[in-house]
Amino acid sequence: MSEQNKVLKSEDELFRFIDNDQFVSEKITAPRYSYWKSVFRVFFRKKINIVIIAFLVLILLVAFIMPIYWHYDPNENVTNAATYNLSPKEAIQYFGGFSFKWMLGSGNLGNSILYGIVSSARTSLLLAVICAAINMTIGILVGALWGYSKKVDAVMLVIYNIIANVPFILMVSVLVYIIGQGFWSFVFALTVTGWLFIAFFFRTQVMIIRDREYSLASRCLGTPVSRVITKNILPFLTSVIVTLLAQELPSYIGMEVTLAFIGIGLSAAVPSLGRMIAQAQGAFLTYPWEFWSPVAVASAITIILYVLGQNLADASDPRTHM
Amino acid sequence: MESNEKKVVLSVRNLDVVFGRGKKAFKAIDNVSFDIYEGETLSLVGESGSGKTTIGRAIVRINPCSAGEIYYKGKKISGKLSRKDDRDVIRKIQMIFQDPAASLNERATIEYIISEGLYNFHLYKDEKDRIAKIEKVVRDVGLLQEHLTRYPHEFSGGQRQRVGLARSIVMEPEFIVADEPISALDVSIRAQVLNLLKKFQVERGLTYLFIAHDLSIVRFISDRIVVIYKGRIMEIAPTEELFQYPLHPYTKSLISAIPIPDPIIEKEKKLFVYSPSMHDYSVEKPELVDLGNGHMVFGSPSEIEKYKKIRFAGQN
Repeated sequence: MSEQNKVLKSEDELFRFIDNDQFVSEKITAPRYSYWKSVFRVFFRKKINIVIIAFLVLILLVAFIMPIYWHYDPNENVTNAATYNLSPKEAIQYFGGFSFKWMLGSGNLGNSILYGIVSSARTSLLLAVICAAINMTIGILVGALWGYSKKVDAVMLVIYNIIANVPFILMVSVLVYIIGQGFWSFVFALTVTGWLFIAFFFRTQVMIIRDREYSLASRCLGTPVSRVITKNILPFLTSVIVTLLAQELPSYIGMEVTLAFIGIGLSAAVPSLGRMIAQAQGAFLTYPWEFWSPVAVASAITIILYVLGQNLADASDPRTHM
Repeated sequence: MESNEKKVVLSVRNLDVVFGRGKKAFKAIDNVSFDIYEGETLSLVGESGSGKTTIGRAIVRINPCSAGEIYYKGKKISGKLSRKDDRDVIRKIQMIFQDPAASLNERATIEYIISEGLYNFHLYKDEKDRIAKIEKVVRDVGLLQEHLTRYPHEFSGGQRQRVGLARSIVMEPEFIVADEPISALDVSIRAQVLNLLKKFQVERGLTYLFIAHDLSIVRFISDRIVVIYKGRIMEIAPTEELFQYPLHPYTKSLISAIPIPDPIIEKEKKLFVYSPSMHDYSVEKPELVDLGNGHMVFGSPSEIEKYKKIRFAGQN
């Protein structure tokens, strides 16, 4: 008791003013936020994505590297009728022991099914990537301007209404008849109007966020339209863009198959999954390996691209970052 | 306060703003005229939907004027402008928005948000100068340098509003339209933002058009008050004049609605309810009349006589 009294003298000495640093209360202690880092963190939180990516890498490697060693010639055994339509078992037997080349059997002209599929997969992937890149780039840029400017909207709506009412398959088939069935003319046919549909979808998205208050604020600061689009509008549509990409990429592979099936696909000189499936449809019951192998590969590629894109789209939505 | 000697910075003349066309047309602003003098704070008050924000937005030219003109320092700024004049007006007239959450770009860092105007007008010598400028303005509004690399969603409402303020101030404007800058804020931080606004006004000689619906805040910040009802001006007066002699019944009702921080008085307070049917404008047409002392009221000639009697009772 007496000791305490010694220490505690008076109230004046007990209390003192502490400095109030106003800036201390302004500090943010939360860790720094980075958009893309969060996207990848959320993306790799789902373990299935790692498996899917592994499959995609495998497909890409096989499709782009193997055709260099496995040269596909559909007519290599055309003179030998004994090689036509061999099942995997028969083919391996006929060509003397196991080889990758004949593990999926032979086609109606004695061609190797596996080599055909690998070369075709490369064509399909290239087609999908090139068409998606062209259509998405043009579509997004035009769509952003289309949604932003009311003047552009009036003009573009008329153009859209005219072109959108022509059936897409009809337009592509007419174009293919006119400019030929090569790979690049096919790309041209798919992209010449394809971007218009993406642009229209994008226009609506832009209109939704166009008149948000921060865009008005940018107008008050005199920000040019190009920077409003790249800084105020596109960053908010990242997940929409990725979702769209997830649908677009597989759709071109599907489109090629569909068009080849009705006979206006790529020419015979270009190996393609669509042509292989179309040719094998008659042999569906008699020589099932000729039909099911390309179907399985086409489905696998589209499903992998789609699932991967959807999961990436989920991860790129900042609402999942919390 | 004799305002005639002061320099007019911005004048609004017979402004009409109409939304929609034809049958659906809605006249949001009807024949509004007022002047703002250099260095003062003019407040626009009125209930929601009365057109306060629309006037503010017409001045920063987000909403086009349907009729009438707006002059800034004698130059017409409504309608089409040459590119040079347009840029000039954008830089000199800035706006602070009501909702600090919506008016900042969520996907941009604070550094970009504050620098946006600087980039647009290239108001800096080199990168170093730009950084120095934004660091200074950030400190002026009471934020930290480390905030520059952060995103708006990491800030509190008051901090965000100060970012919005910094973004306007860094442009070195002469005139700021503050559209309800504190109505979305927590009561405890309203004073902070108001004090910042006052500080900048003193330091930089800014002129404000302050839009608000809270009369107690308006009384604190403004020099003169414009009362608006359904897109028309009801009364214009210097702040204390208006609070002492509210003449128009609508102004009276607004003032009677200010809450009193005493539960007993507040309970017994009699609210004054305004209804346009109080006026009979079938014979006499109403107009905005100057009563002297910078006090203008909207009314018919007989009403004006009545208002004059109330205002100058006991004088002369």
